[in-house]
Amino acid sequence: MSETNVKIDEIVDGRGLFCPGPLMELIKTIQLKPVGTVMSVLSTDEGSAKDIPAWIQKVGQEYIKTEKKDGYWEVIVKKIK
Amino acid sequence: MEKISFVLASDELEKLHAGALMASVAAVSQMDVSVFVTMNAVTAFRKETIEKKSFKVSGEIGRRLLEKNKQMFYDLLVQGKMIGSLKVYACAMALELMEEDLNHYHPVFDETLGVAGFLGKVAGGQVLFI
Repeated sequence: MSETNVKIDEIVDGRGLFCPGPLMELIKTIQLKPVGTVMSVLSTDEGSAKDIPAWIQKVGQEYIKTEKKDGYWEVIVKKIK
Repeated sequence: MEKISFVLASDELEKLHAGALMASVAAVSQMDVSVFVTMNAVTAFRKETIEKKSFKVSGEIGRRLLEKNKQMFYDLLVQGKMIGSLKVYACAMALELMEEDLNHYHPVFDETLGVAGFLGKVAGGQVLFI
């Protein structure tokens, strides 16, 4: 998937949550969504912005990218299984 | 499935939180997790302790955990159980010394267990003692 052309299907807003809150929110969402869903996780917690890609790699989903926004991070992941 | 186990032996809030945090994240990362709560740690899971929030705090992080009303260690374990494979065992000997059964404790516990039973369950995996 081209990084410049990512269509987000679902936003998981974990802003304001402490670690591992944003990761847990992503997990709850990823369990409910069909394969192929692209999710954008928003987090004000910097640790989660690093943890989420590690978790994605561990469980074999697809990590697309992380972007620093104004006061929060956006991590994009695609459910592939 | 990769196996990991945690022994929670201290009643210090900071140690309980660290152990529960690692256990819950391990559980949601496709690991098979066992948590054995023993010694003074069992007292932190008493319904009365939780109700009064009378946890033993040893430093700044513990104080801030309580002040900021963060998710508590027992909530983290419940979350790990809901999403992943996580079992929580109460040390039978500690409960015997307390002269209490599981009804006096947070419902996160799956059952009481002796050390031999716990060692049987954790055989072949890593064990972290906190």
